[in-house]
Amino acid sequence: MSKTYSLTLTIKRYDPDRSVTWFQTYKLDSGPILRFVDLFRRINVEQDPTLAWASSCEHAQCGSCSVNVNGRPLLACELLVENAVTLFGTTQFKITPVKVAPVVRDLVVDWEKTYERVHRAKPYIIKPKELSPGMTEHRISPQELARYEEATRCINCFCCADACISGNRNFVGPNAVMASIVRMMDPREEEKNERLNLLYSEEGIYRCHTSKACSHVCPKNIDVAHFLALAKEGAFKRREK
Amino acid sequence: MGKKLQIHSTLTCDVLIIGAGGAGLRCATLLHERRPDLSIFAVTKVAHPQKSHTSTAQGGMAAVDPKDKADKSIYHMFDTWKGGDCSSDQNVVKRIIDGGWEEVQWLERKGIHFSRDEGGNISKRQFGGHTVEFGKGDALRAVFVADRTGKGMMDTVWGEALKGGSLFINSTVVTELLFNEGCCVGAVLFKVKEGEFVTVLAKATVLATGGSGQVFRITTNCRNNTGDGLAVILKAGLPVMDPEAIQFHPTGIVGPGILASEALRSEGGILRNKEMEPFMERYAPKMKDLAPRDIVARAIETEIREGKGIMNSDHQIEHVWIDLRHLPDYVHEVKLKEVASFFKTYANLDSRTQLCPVRPSNHYHMGGIPTNEHGEVQDSANRVVPGLFAIGECTCASLHGFNRLGTNSLLELLVMGRYVGERILSHLKEKQVPAPKGAGEATLDLFTNYLEAQGRENIGMIRQEMRELMTRKVGIFRTEKGMQEAIASLIALKQQAAKAAISTKSMRMNQELLERWELDNLLDNAMTITQGALMRKESRGAHFREDYPERSDEFQFHTLVSMTEFGKVSFGKRPIDMSIYESKGEHYEQFRIMPRKY
Repeated sequence: MSKTYSLTLTIKRYDPDRSVTWFQTYKLDSGPILRFVDLFRRINVEQDPTLAWASSCEHAQCGSCSVNVNGRPLLACELLVENAVTLFGTTQFKITPVKVAPVVRDLVVDWEKTYERVHRAKPYIIKPKELSPGMTEHRISPQELARYEEATRCINCFCCADACISGNRNFVGPNAVMASIVRMMDPREEEKNERLNLLYSEEGIYRCHTSKACSHVCPKNIDVAHFLALAKEGAFKRREK
Repeated sequence: MGKKLQIHSTLTCDVLIIGAGGAGLRCATLLHERRPDLSIFAVTKVAHPQKSHTSTAQGGMAAVDPKDKADKSIYHMFDTWKGGDCSSDQNVVKRIIDGGWEEVQWLERKGIHFSRDEGGNISKRQFGGHTVEFGKGDALRAVFVADRTGKGMMDTVWGEALKGGSLFINSTVVTELLFNEGCCVGAVLFKVKEGEFVTVLAKATVLATGGSGQVFRITTNCRNNTGDGLAVILKAGLPVMDPEAIQFHPTGIVGPGILASEALRSEGGILRNKEMEPFMERYAPKMKDLAPRDIVARAIETEIREGKGIMNSDHQIEHVWIDLRHLPDYVHEVKLKEVASFFKTYANLDSRTQLCPVRPSNHYHMGGIPTNEHGEVQDSANRVVPGLFAIGECTCASLHGFNRLGTNSLLELLVMGRYVGERILSHLKEKQVPAPKGAGEATLDLFTNYLEAQGRENIGMIRQEMRELMTRKVGIFRTEKGMQEAIASLIALKQQAAKAAISTKSMRMNQELLERWELDNLLDNAMTITQGALMRKESRGAHFREDYPERSDEFQFHTLVSMTEFGKVSFGKRPIDMSIYESKGEHYEQFRIMPRKY
């Protein structure tokens, strides 16, 4: 028989019609390998259909279900009950929405507002390099790709931005910066200067205090701080026009 | 409550794309490239297009590289035709496969991070069912982005759509299509976050709403795949095609159903039942664990039915084991790294020392909204509905017939996205047709009913019961009796749903209200799937009838199902296109109706 945990989930709630915030406690018994999204679903079916929470793919590939559990930003779809008990040393969990985005209701935040930062970083090729004569595709060696491939795994769950000690008011954020750095390192991008302008702007990388909280919390285990450090040390050069 | 629901505003655009996944946004990017002046709305149910289900596709995208001397488009067409159990439309197969490599080049130029070979060229990998010379050898045909090809594609198309100026309308669903004099003129949308209904008028409307996997209890599909596009099509009096054609992947990880790749078995993993017996030896003495997807899925399901499964008490799901313990560390740590990490993450198991729980999981809906080879939606008499297009998993063109080959779905998304964009441009009306009288009334009535419903029924419980029922009775094994029972149960569930009161009457981000609407969509999908499967008294591709285990030429057609009132369906037929065969060109004989044997 598998073990049963008696859990207490204290969830921060928000009602947008009355602009009221409160904490609500739910108690439930669970086996070891239910995930936190499974617990939220069970709360909806068994106790309280009004609790709003976000998810989509539920296997760490879309980054919709980011929440704070006992102060740590993480993906609720990846957190198994028994791992949570081990990680936090308790069966009591305080769950709050991520701070990086305005709350819509309960645990659902307005990702649109947060994505604007990534949009500002232009997550595409601004000015594509021409193909070499006679070629139908670019050649990129695996070694060159390996320099920035890790950063392309980012799913924009904003856990890094939530954990960032530089705050979210003045800093465009680790994941947005990383989106731009990917294209700085991508040999197919010709427009490097515009990207440097963002990286070295008022909301750019000098806001970063190198706490490495981003790398520490990244659910995809991306060393976000490494890419920011590259920009800080001046690894990317301006192009003469 | 008391406040009457209303249409908040009416917006106009040139092209309204509903569903901003791979297909929808590829269509948007084509439009931006050719006509930067057009205004494009891209509506998505998720919080941002990047969160789309396309992002979860792992393995690759099939496309024949013209530089490859060993491979040819005709081989790919053959594999698709044979794999689909001779139920794909050959005109569609040809058009899509011919357009494949152009999409690879487009993606590459727009910045996708394809995996590369030592020479810096785009790498290719082998995939099940993809062969050269009509089954003689394995084809290297799938380009890929490590184990996240869908994400690579999704990031490329949403980046380009953003660059082109698409307006993303996020966390929004379509509740009603609008028609004026037989022409689709736009749609009514429900903005879930804001709790507002809006009417959007457009010169062309594209449905790209994705799959319906949530109909089943165990599925690889995301939480949002509730078949919404098919439900609005049915409401508009239009048919769905081949709804019974649903693919189940043999090895979903218990409990969330996440796909555990075929690679587990090709690297030597062995399926075992409760008694630790390697049972595949009994079902496929030669190929054993490497038998095709549907055979393995049926074998696992049979073991479970005969009481030789194991119950997972956390998720209350029965399963069998996949034994990987005998494989060398190198296989666990390098070759199966991703899947092995799934077992660790979602079941807390170490595949090197522990048995891992798997069972068949709903994976893909081959059926959907009927379209022609240009992506134009057709009615039950196979006439084009002007102004309305459909692409991606929500459609049935049909490329996949009754069984989809791995890596062909990503191909379809992109190629058809582009083709629909081109078709829209050549047919774009000069002027916007006005909204019909009473536009949006049906939506407002529907949601008012939801909000005013009285009773103690529980939406979540009804959904669970429906998913359980569909998995048990309309899943991998289907019988006349089981499906008749399923239809009776679905009607009862529909009646129960009418007695479910919504606790919060607030409109803003009312998840319960959204789930109530989704439940109706799921029930509509479940009903048409079941009715189609009941009508089709044969087995074809992924559709397996225990009472009719063989394919029958009597059913060599596409099913059309219309349903304007729940449970009352009318059937139609669409012929399966055999134009490659009929052209009598080179290798035409490979496109005859043949047995699907590997």
